[in-house]
Order: sequence, then C-alpha cells, then structure tokens
Amino acid sequence: MSIKICTLYFEGKYTPDYVEKLHNGLKKYCSLPFEFICYSDNPNVKADVVIPLNPHSDIKKHWYKLSYFSPLFANQKPNDDIIIMDIDQIIVNNIDDIIGYPVGENELVSYNKWWGGKPKLNGGFYKFKSGELKNFWSDFIKCPEVWQLNWYKTGVVHYKYYGEQNFVDWMCEKHNVKLTLMPSEWVCKLTNNKKEDKENQLQYIKKFNKDYMVLDKPHDDIKIIHFANPHANIHDSDYHWIKDYWK
Amino acid sequence: MRIICVNTGNKFGQWYVDNLKHMIDNYSGLKYDSFEVIEEEKYKGVFNKLQMFDKFRDGENLYFDLDICIYNKVPNLIRRDLTVLHAWWRDRAHTSFNSSIISWTGDQSHIYKAFKKDVNMWQEKYNKGIDQMLEENFKVANYDKICYSIKGNEYNKKDNNYSIMLFNQSQYLMLPGWSSWWTDYFLPISVKNI
Repeated sequence: MSIKICTLYFEGKYTPDYVEKLHNGLKKYCSLPFEFICYSDNPNVKADVVIPLNPHSDIKKHWYKLSYFSPLFANQKPNDDIIIMDIDQIIVNNIDDIIGYPVGENELVSYNKWWGGKPKLNGGFYKFKSGELKNFWSDFIKCPEVWQLNWYKTGVVHYKYYGEQNFVDWMCEKHNVKLTLMPSEWVCKLTNNKKEDKENQLQYIKKFNKDYMVLDKPHDDIKIIHFANPHANIHDSDYHWIKDYWK
Repeated sequence: MRIICVNTGNKFGQWYVDNLKHMIDNYSGLKYDSFEVIEEEKYKGVFNKLQMFDKFRDGENLYFDLDICIYNKVPNLIRRDLTVLHAWWRDRAHTSFNSSIISWTGDQSHIYKAFKKDVNMWQEKYNKGIDQMLEENFKVANYDKICYSIKGNEYNKKDNNYSIMLFNQSQYLMLPGWSSWWTDYFLPISVKNI
C-alpha cells in the first residue's frame, strides 16, 4: 500500500509555484512516505509525477479532480490510499495525522467545514481507498456537462462550474458511502478579506475553546490552512507569517 | 486492400493515427496496400467520414475509427457489400448501427453523392451522426459480433473472445494518466501529439 497525494493545476487563478509550495510543505511536515502527483495543463509544475491534462476535454476547471476517483487514473494500485488535495493550502504543522488518517472500504475522509455552509465536507481534501469510490467518476463522466452546471443552475452555488464538493457529497449519499470528517480544529480557513477572517477567528475560538486561530502565526493545533473562497488566494495575502510556511 | 481512417477537427491528434497504424501493423495480422488518412474538414464532425465513399471507389476498403484498441489477430473484416457494426452491446436507441468499422468493395460513391445534394438537410436531420443516416437510407449490412465495447467493461480484464475493443465515448481512457491492459498495445503517448 502506498499513499498518493493527488493535485490538479490549470492555468488561470493560480501560478505553478502553488504546486511546488504545497509539495515542499508536505515534504517538510509529513514524515509518512507518499508520492506527489499533479494533473496539469502546464508541464512546468514541480511534482513527483506530472500527468498532462487533455486540452480537448469537455471537463471544466477543478472537475478534473474527479478523475482520481477512477482506479484507472494516475497508475493507482489496489489498496493504495488516494488523497486528492487542492493546491490553495498552506501546511503549518506536522500533518501526519491528516495524511495518515485511517480510511476503510466504501469510506471518504474529508475536512470538516466548521466555518459553515453546505456540504459539511470540504473539496480541499478527499481520502479514500483506490477504486472504492469509482462510481463517483463513472456517474460524473456519463454527463459532465450536466453535473458541472447542476448546482449553479439550481442556485446552490453562485459561481459557474462550482459545485464539485456538492457532487461528491451527493455521491456519498447516493452510494451509501461512509463520510468521515477529521477533527475540525486541525483545519482553518483564511481569505483575503479581513472581516471574514475575523469572523472565522471568533468562531474558531468559541467552537474549539482556543485562545486564538491566527495571531502572529497559526495556532499550534492547526495543521493546515485552506484559502477556501472563490476570491481568495495565497499570493495576495497580507499575513506576514505566510512566507515562513509557503515557500 | 486499403485501410482508411479519418482525422478531422481537433478531437484527435496525430498520435491517434500513428497508434491505429501501430496496432494494425503489430497485432491485427492485416495485410494492406495503402493506409489512407482523410484530414480535410469539409463538413460537420462525423459527416467528414462520408468523404471516403467519394475518394475510394475501387478495390477492398476497410475503415477504422481512431478510438479503438486492436490487440490480436482480427477475423476477416473485408466485405463485398457495404457493412458496418451492429451495436449489440447497447440498447438500440436511435440506431442499432455503429460505424466504428466499415468495409466495402468497389464503388459506394452514391452515398456521398446523395449527401452532397443537400448537405445541410442531412447534417440537421441526422445530427446524432451518420449511423442512423446509413441505417435509414442505404442498403447496408451488419457484421456479426466481431468486437466489443468498453462500456461496462472498464474494470474488466481483456476479453480474449475478441481482438478489437471500441472506446466509443470513453476516448479519455486512451489519454496520458489513464492505464489498463489496453495501454500495453498502444504507442507511447506524446503530449504534443494528442
């Protein structure tokens, strides 16, 4: 059994160094052996394995992530632990508990989106056994055009082509997949909006009985920070401590 | 005997043509006189296939789609009368024909001529493709079960009862990053040629 950490990069919102910096963070803060894979339309991203992204496909943006649910993708072997991670994250403490989080048959492990909104799982992190959730891909690829716009057209999300985590959440329900959310306080959300960050900070303090979420650096109980917001990115962030972790 | 394929538009790159020839030369056992590639895009999508009935009006002709895997010696596929696949692996839907493999001997240019008379009408009426057009308007025979489809077989082992598998609408499984038994029969893939 091996751990494959699988990412996606496509030209647009981010730059290729996001991939390299996440990889560097994983190498620094994870003592478990893993293979770092990037499915990318830019061949210059830095990863152990770079899979070229098909330029003619009907699949849009982050929906390519779903390819990893197929055991035929990314040279998966039976019983491999597959982790799909978004690249807009900063690792700030030892992450062995997250990367090594136990996962069984017919189970999906994800972050707990304690800061609100539905679904409770977070598309920034999916962990499962290779092939166990292959129906997610099979169902999606039957009509990607429909699924990619479904949650936008029904008003659940407000940005075109958003809704991938809604699809995954719905797949869990449809296929009776056990959804496991890791301890909430391990993950926090930041944005480029001070007001929103302050509200999250207060919520974190209250919810988890901590002194703070982020001051001159993130709280020691936080292992990873997700810039989970359609308008958020790491490279424009004002937090000075970021340079110590994201390099 | 002439082998024909069609590569118009941007759906398939040169790799698919090279890969088809590679599989034919190495696994099919087919002996042919020429390998013809139609590249000129004159019509909408699959209607470009019909050009072959105009261009090749003599001898034995055998056409293959590009999204197939040939992994063993093929049975005799050459036919005198125009012959296409019967899509036995799926429900009938709008047609039971599948033109991933076509064979004929001699002149079938009457099909192209009929199409040319009113291109827009044909393209609009048969917007799901030429299979239904061939079934409803021309005298066309069907092959027996000479190949199978990947639909429903994605995770199964290679079926040794056949020598050809069609990817149908699952062409992505031929791309870099995707692998299974069929990858062993493909040319190494080059990103710039896909």
